[in-house]
Amino acid sequence: MAFRSDVMVREGRQAALPKQSGIRKIFDRNFHAYMFLLPWLIGFFGLTLGPALASLYLSFTNYDLLQSPDWVGASNYVRIATADPKFAAAMKVTFTYVLLSVPLKLIFALMVAMAFNRGMQGLTLYRAVFYLPSLLGSSVAIAVLWRQLFASDGLVNMVLWQLFGYEGPSWISNPDYSIYTLVILSVWQFGSPMIIFLAGLRQIPQDMYEAAEMDGAGKMRQFFRITLPLLTPVIFFNAVIQTIDAFKAFTPAFIISEGSGGPINSTLFYTLYLYQEAFGFFRMGYASALAWILVVIISLFTAFSFLSARYWVHYDD
Amino acid sequence: MSVMLKRRAVVSAGLAAMSLAVVGGGPAFAQAARLRLLWWGSQERADRTNKAIAAYKKAKPDLDIAGEFAGWSDYWPRLATQVAGRNAPDLIQMDYRYIFEYARRGALAPLDEYVGKALKIEDFGTPNIDSGRVDGKLYGINLGVNSSSVFFDAAAWEKAGVKAPSAGQSWEEFAKNAAEFGKNKPKPGYYATADASGVEPSFENWLRQQNKALFSEDGGLGYDAKDAGDWFAMWADMRKAGACVPADIQALDQLNIESNALTTGKAATAFAHSNQFVGYQAVNKAKLSITSYPKVSKDSPSGHYLKPSMLMSVAKGSAGVEAAAEFINFLVAVPEGVDILGVERGVPASESMRNQLSPKLNDVSKAMVDYIAEVTPGVGPLPPSPPPGAGEFAFVLKRTSEEVAFGRMTPEEGGKRLVTEAETVIKRK
Repeated sequence: MAFRSDVMVREGRQAALPKQSGIRKIFDRNFHAYMFLLPWLIGFFGLTLGPALASLYLSFTNYDLLQSPDWVGASNYVRIATADPKFAAAMKVTFTYVLLSVPLKLIFALMVAMAFNRGMQGLTLYRAVFYLPSLLGSSVAIAVLWRQLFASDGLVNMVLWQLFGYEGPSWISNPDYSIYTLVILSVWQFGSPMIIFLAGLRQIPQDMYEAAEMDGAGKMRQFFRITLPLLTPVIFFNAVIQTIDAFKAFTPAFIISEGSGGPINSTLFYTLYLYQEAFGFFRMGYASALAWILVVIISLFTAFSFLSARYWVHYDD
Repeated sequence: MSVMLKRRAVVSAGLAAMSLAVVGGGPAFAQAARLRLLWWGSQERADRTNKAIAAYKKAKPDLDIAGEFAGWSDYWPRLATQVAGRNAPDLIQMDYRYIFEYARRGALAPLDEYVGKALKIEDFGTPNIDSGRVDGKLYGINLGVNSSSVFFDAAAWEKAGVKAPSAGQSWEEFAKNAAEFGKNKPKPGYYATADASGVEPSFENWLRQQNKALFSEDGGLGYDAKDAGDWFAMWADMRKAGACVPADIQALDQLNIESNALTTGKAATAFAHSNQFVGYQAVNKAKLSITSYPKVSKDSPSGHYLKPSMLMSVAKGSAGVEAAAEFINFLVAVPEGVDILGVERGVPASESMRNQLSPKLNDVSKAMVDYIAEVTPGVGPLPPSPPPGAGEFAFVLKRTSEEVAFGRMTPEEGGKRLVTEAETVIKRK
């Protein structure tokens, strides 16, 4: 540290005195830091850790909000594991969504970022325009738009009919296809990974490409041998963030099916099911158990990503 | 020094404000100067309710009523969290399905002692008063009477050249005409009727016509797998004949006015609660008519019953139960309040109020009042109080009907599945 105030130096000396015990010493030395951290600490303990622990407790109870919680041991978890067909349905929907939307979104975002990276005119404007869908998020307007696009007499079917003479079904309300309309919605909102990819592409030194070109490497080869390997840290970061986001996805299904997860549970995202149990049927205990299972799943996925990262992510700068 | 003083002043002012807020929010005052009112419903209802609150303010200038509203599906989470957080609104719009849960869990204040004093509701008649009773105590005041009903666009039926639905018509006849409609449809992608196989009140009406019920007195199911299978089969036949909308159109219906196939221009007929007639007409260009359900056979009962479309309850622990009761009285038994609310929440339960209101109504509201008068002679008793998990049954019915409609199950399998799932659901806490 280049700069230190007198107070801090004095405190540092005091803290160095041998009389005080360990924790006390650390606290004294870092007193000012803790004071500055206080707003965050209050938020963390009061608004995050406290409620999280409370929900862990509630997951072992039956709690309907009106009467006090009733301890039932692990029976919520047992029911989830053995006797809940909706849990299985929600798992299937969520995993389909995660496994499809994350790779597609990343590929799409990377493609657009590469197109932008060529240094075109008016890049700032285009970047803003392409980022726009991500800003809209999942509003009611988007739900209406999606219905207009994918309904039986929607725009998509109009185009299909004009071009191929194919009379399409009502994509959004057909249990065989409805989840894919939500995947498309997610891919369409590719703004934030695109911006990060763009920054990542700018980091790759130009001389590498020049050298490769001189050695006779084509565009494809340059992409797979230079761009992709050097971009792996950014891809990794995007993949982890997007996967966690996809597991937590709630609003698209909530607004498009108006909270029902229908037709036939085909858009019953895990979080939507959790919400139904909690706020539709007031089974707070059961919903808490579902929430903790989601925490475990996301943690496992993230841990797996970090473990696998050492085999494919290159940090060589 | 002056800085210190200022700081101290600010802090103490802040503390004073906080303690004021604490005292004001708590039950410290015997007489509340402010009541909170929470209800669900459309913008139309909000306008009427706010107008009624403003009118009451003129009569009682020292009482503030703060209104707050939400859509049906957001309403119940909001109410439950407020009640759980000891922050319940004083006045709670209540549904017949939920009043049992809230009353039995001690969230509502009994209102018996105010009847005849603050609440002049004696001319409601016993059934309309009792619809707000739980285990013998009065927890809700009937805000309006309704019944299940059929709405249709008569002009569209005429255009197709078939007889429109009418009172006393059989299901068989209705299905035949609807199939005929499908052959002469006035425009492509347009059908005679929405598919009501997943609509709980429709299923209930059909069961009641056969002297069965959704739920029995002892909290079990009031029908068996064969009944449910027959119900699904009847609609499967209509679907096949092009009489009702196909599965993927019906799946867009989220059981509200805005997404119903009638409103979205896919069907000429809808099944809904009679008080929603005002709401449906407001968003439909075509002039709508209202009639009772088709019947299983000529001599079967109509299956209809008069239901409180909604009730008004007072939270237990509210600082102003009496003031709240007086306000409820203004809404249901004082001409000024009754006239402002109209029949948007259902037909007033009080006979004198109904009589003084009727001449002032427009055609749409009048048609609904006439409808209630028409079905009243044939109505049966209120169904027994629903079992704890009954709220989830409506979802199970909708999903199972979709499984049949999309061809994933036969109607017979659907009937079996419905009964199995319903039995689990109503037992679950």
